[in-house]
Amino acid sequence: MSPHLHLVDGPATTVTTMLLDGAAVVPRHGTESLTGVEAHDLAAHRATFGTRRSCVGHAGQDLLEAIDHVHLTGRGGGHFPTAAKWRSILVHGAGATVVANGAEGEPAAAKDAVLLQTRPHLVLDGLVAAMEVVGSSDGVVWLHDGAWASARSISRALEERAAAGVADPPIRVVLAPDRYLSGEATGIIRTLEGGPTLPRYVDDPSRPWSVGSTPVLVNNVETLARVGLLATGDVAGYTPTSLLTVVSKSHRVVLEVGAATTFGEVVERAWTSPDRRPPQAVLLGGYGGSWVAWDKIRDLHVDSDELRGAGLSVGAGLVGPLPSTSCGLEESARVMRYMAGQSARQCGPCVFGLASVADLASDLSAGRLTPIGRRKLGRFMGEISGRGACRHPDGALRMLSSALVVFGDDVRHHRRGRTCDAPTYAILPVPGEE
Amino acid sequence: MSRHAAVREARPAKPSQGDAALRIDPAICDGVGICAHLAADLITVDSWGYPILRAEPLRSGSERRQAEAAVAACPRKALHITT
Repeated sequence: MSPHLHLVDGPATTVTTMLLDGAAVVPRHGTESLTGVEAHDLAAHRATFGTRRSCVGHAGQDLLEAIDHVHLTGRGGGHFPTAAKWRSILVHGAGATVVANGAEGEPAAAKDAVLLQTRPHLVLDGLVAAMEVVGSSDGVVWLHDGAWASARSISRALEERAAAGVADPPIRVVLAPDRYLSGEATGIIRTLEGGPTLPRYVDDPSRPWSVGSTPVLVNNVETLARVGLLATGDVAGYTPTSLLTVVSKSHRVVLEVGAATTFGEVVERAWTSPDRRPPQAVLLGGYGGSWVAWDKIRDLHVDSDELRGAGLSVGAGLVGPLPSTSCGLEESARVMRYMAGQSARQCGPCVFGLASVADLASDLSAGRLTPIGRRKLGRFMGEISGRGACRHPDGALRMLSSALVVFGDDVRHHRRGRTCDAPTYAILPVPGEE
Repeated sequence: MSRHAAVREARPAKPSQGDAALRIDPAICDGVGICAHLAADLITVDSWGYPILRAEPLRSGSERRQAEAAVAACPRKALHITT
């Protein structure tokens, strides 16, 4: 599938693997077939990671301390400390629902799918550990509709554990609609309360469930897989790593790297350049992430502290290099149109605002943005910011704002009524495009 | 901005008002717009007619009364005052 991968004889960097052994290759669209990483059954799981310790009672406090010790955080870009989130649930007593969030709405990202399909027992170990710590007897694996390979993998793993006599608390698999926002935490909670899978406005983000409803703890499956590692008791052996999805035109590569790895090394190892030249920029995090010029990101390490210092985040783990022969404004306009279409259509500033901004971004990319349109674009972006029930519009605007800076030369070129006539287009996958 | 204006902006909220603030659930709001007329010191409207709320807490009795009028008048019950 990917003859140009240089995963083995890349630069001589230390390859740090905690979760995966090797790199997985997945198609450009969908995650139904993946190669490169061996899927673990229960025996392989135990042979690799050992057996999970009970996390009931004092052992749960030990796990919380271990999670604190390694600074484990959520994957949402906000990097909220996982242990603090669990403690805020403990305040409400036992009986919470715990959700393993595997609805990877980010169309270009596939790291959650790779974990669900190759490390299902590690994810489930983490989920069960979380349930034991907060005293839950309702576990949910939250996937999106169409992620059949992931759903099969988790169902098979649950059956395998039951057959082997593993004493797991009850866990159910719930399928969400296949949309960008299906993994948004308030929408998950709203669904579990019997409502639609749509984000909800909450005054207090630390308490996102309805008054009188069961508290719900939502953790990303990658976070839980890391909890699964810590729950074996080998805290000293834990090294913080990141799971990244590197997008090429023909396929995607999911790889795990340590904090000493630079993005230059990531791209060299896992990206297939269409013209043998380095990219001009990289979209980092997700479609609500940031474009970063190649000369800025090349030497940055995949280290959350270093990235935060640069105003960046690994977010959903997307690394989207833009070939030197592509037009960043064209790509950004495509992504912006997709993001506008993925609005939950609840909040006016998102429904009307993102659509208007997407139109103007398309005008810019086509070289027909008028001076009036230019002023409108600036005004609209300022008006929309911070005004949705969820962060969807903010993310889309972050992506576009970064594009206007990083591709500033192109902006000036396009404003003169010209286009790039870029030979390499449609780099970032958008559902329904092919 | 004059020096006087800068000083006025920097003055903290009156303690009697606490940290009460006008808040909106944007998912419920339909952009009817009555609120922007009733609470002109607190609310402006965007290019699509949806209210933009000032983020700072309510600073005076007049602002408090405007906020309460807007909350009461919203046909969608999208506004509330937090403490």
